[in-house]
Amino acid sequence: MADLNVNICGVNFKNPLIAASGTFGFGREYDEIYDISVIGGISTKGMTLEPRQGNPVPRIAEGRSVILNAVGLQNPGVEHFIKYDLPFLKQKGIAIVANVAGKTFDDYGAICAKLDGLVDFIELNISCPNVKAGGMAFGIKPESIKEVTRTAKSSLRKTPLMVKLSPNVESIPLNAQAAQSGGADCISLINTLTGMAIDVERRTPVIANNTGGVSGAGIKPVALRMVYEAAHSVDIPVIGMGGITCGTDVIEFMLAGARAVQVGTANFTDANAMPRILAETNLWLDRHGIKNINEIVDTLKLN
Amino acid sequence: MKDVVATVKSNKIIAENVYMMTLTISENVGEIHGGQFVNLATGGGEHLLRRPLGVMKVEGNDISVCYQLKGEGTKKLSEAQEGQKLKILLPLGNGFPLEGKKKIAVIGGGVGIFPLIATIREHCADKEFYSYMGFRTKSAVCLLDELEKSRSLTVVTDDGSFGEKGNAVEAYLKDAAKLGADCIIACGPPVMLKVLKQKLNERANKIPCFVSLEERMGCGIGACLVCVCKKQNGENARVCKDGPVFKINEVNL
Ligand SMILES: Cc1cc2nc3c(=O)[nH]c(=O)nc-3n(C[C@H](O)[C@H](O)[C@H](O)COP(=O)(O)OP(=O)(O)OC[C@H]3O[C@@H](n4cnc5c(N)ncnc54)[C@H](O)[C@@H]3O)c2cc1C
Ligand SMILES: Cc1cc2nc3c(=O)[nH]c(=O)nc-3n(C[C@H](O)[C@H](O)[C@H](O)COP(=O)(O)O)c2cc1C
Ligand code: FES
Repeated sequence: MADLNVNICGVNFKNPLIAASGTFGFGREYDEIYDISVIGGISTKGMTLEPRQGNPVPRIAEGRSVILNAVGLQNPGVEHFIKYDLPFLKQKGIAIVANVAGKTFDDYGAICAKLDGLVDFIELNISCPNVKAGGMAFGIKPESIKEVTRTAKSSLRKTPLMVKLSPNVESIPLNAQAAQSGGADCISLINTLTGMAIDVERRTPVIANNTGGVSGAGIKPVALRMVYEAAHSVDIPVIGMGGITCGTDVIEFMLAGARAVQVGTANFTDANAMPRILAETNLWLDRHGIKNINEIVDTLKLN
Repeated sequence: MKDVVATVKSNKIIAENVYMMTLTISENVGEIHGGQFVNLATGGGEHLLRRPLGVMKVEGNDISVCYQLKGEGTKKLSEAQEGQKLKILLPLGNGFPLEGKKKIAVIGGGVGIFPLIATIREHCADKEFYSYMGFRTKSAVCLLDELEKSRSLTVVTDDGSFGEKGNAVEAYLKDAAKLGADCIIACGPPVMLKVLKQKLNERANKIPCFVSLEERMGCGIGACLVCVCKKQNGENARVCKDGPVFKINEVNL
């Protein structure tokens, strides 16, 4: 069996599989199905300073090989996480990535300050609307990406910062560079692609919010291209995700330059997805005689 | 709660557009109670989401669910052949809490009857069920043999083509006073539950009433917060984990 440990910004992940934000809660529910200490890490549900109720239902729809969601960042607030969920996750011995969001630059700074030193990584979800910029997401333009990254980074003394890029943008390379120059220690991508599903009988969008974020197997080609672009435009580590459902998907993302990956929607299709994908990844490595998973990172041979 | 591979034992039509699928599960998944549900894969790789279906019957290693044809997923399920393997996550959610209850009024409409049948089957040896079941029309009526495990059964249809014309809520309310049940359980279309709540409150109903809700789901186990309903106190509850059974006055309908 290959050595699966990956080290990103000084944080050790016992394997490169991280549960993706919003699909795995704070780990408790999946831990009822299997011992989640087998996975490399968890990115928590997106948290805000104050508790949030989220969007009306329906919050989810299905397309072919994809799903759409608009949960609207329902979460119990960061204080609740620190008191109630963090102790549980700590005892699991997996890397804890706190996914955070805000409505203003100050929100991002404040929530980072609260979590500094308590978790292994902070992941900035910058796909949320900036209320002061007329609701345009923080993560669209390089200028605001740099600024939100810098604000977050200046509130952090101990915990490394991961910036999660949105795919609904003009240029992944420019946005990745903006995060790097704002002080990001690493980058993760992709967040969901904005989409729509329509109920023809009612002639309305299926999701109450009208639009939703598209994820799942069908988005993998787009995600792979974007991860490749990001990994080749910055020097900091990149964590890839988008449609990963099996071991060879993990290998593909790592060949494209990802140092680790996140698994989201696949958890809904198969509640045991992560342990299964881990076993499949191992098999592939063994079959190819690879002793250390880090060896395959960024070894894609372009035509 | 386990995600396991089940084998389709049978899959047959039992009413217009309604199928019953029996699945054999070799692993031990623990006790399953009436009102709990499963998350069943459709067998179509393009469907990333499981379909939540109430458990209708548990017999040894076999469990049966019944589903109405709605969209692509249930269509795919209807094509499943005997011997086919399907992934199933179960048991999910909470069943109807009937501890200490003796005389239970059961109100069901449409596909809502299935989790109620499981509940009747589970407890009919030591509790009395008085069932009021509403269907659209005669061709939708099914599983009368199961429903007849109730102490009494009233079947109504919207168009009067089978049993009396009317709906299940009205049928129950007509009997309510003389019946003197100590608990009500209900499952059916949202409008049925809404009317039930309104009528019970108009009559200052005192006996506990539990309803089972439906909402679109992602994970089915409480992790993704996709399936929420609003509680009377303004907070969200997860239908999959905190429900699907709720006290009728605890939730907004
Ligand atoms: C706890 C629970 C128990 C249920 N028990 C039964 C049952 O015993 N028998 C039965 O016939 N139906 C039951 N339903 C409803 C059933 O899940 C849907 O009719 C079914 O998912 C429709 O799938 P589809 O692919 O045919 O429809 P589509 O409309 O094509 O489905 C698209 C997506 O929406 C979801 N969806 C659509 N309608 C519903 C709905 N009413 N509730 C939840 N998700 C929905 C589907 O699961 C799928 O993810 C139950 C629902 C819940 C939440
Ligand atoms: C139901 C749901 C909720 C999500 N919530 C969040 C969130 O709170 N914060 C975030 O950064 N990403 C969130 N995401 C995006 C995922 O973390 C991930 O980026 C995306 O789904 C692509 O990966 P996948 O195809 O493996 O699901 C959510 C995705 C889903 C499906
Ligand atoms: S379906 Fe995920 S929380 Fe209910």
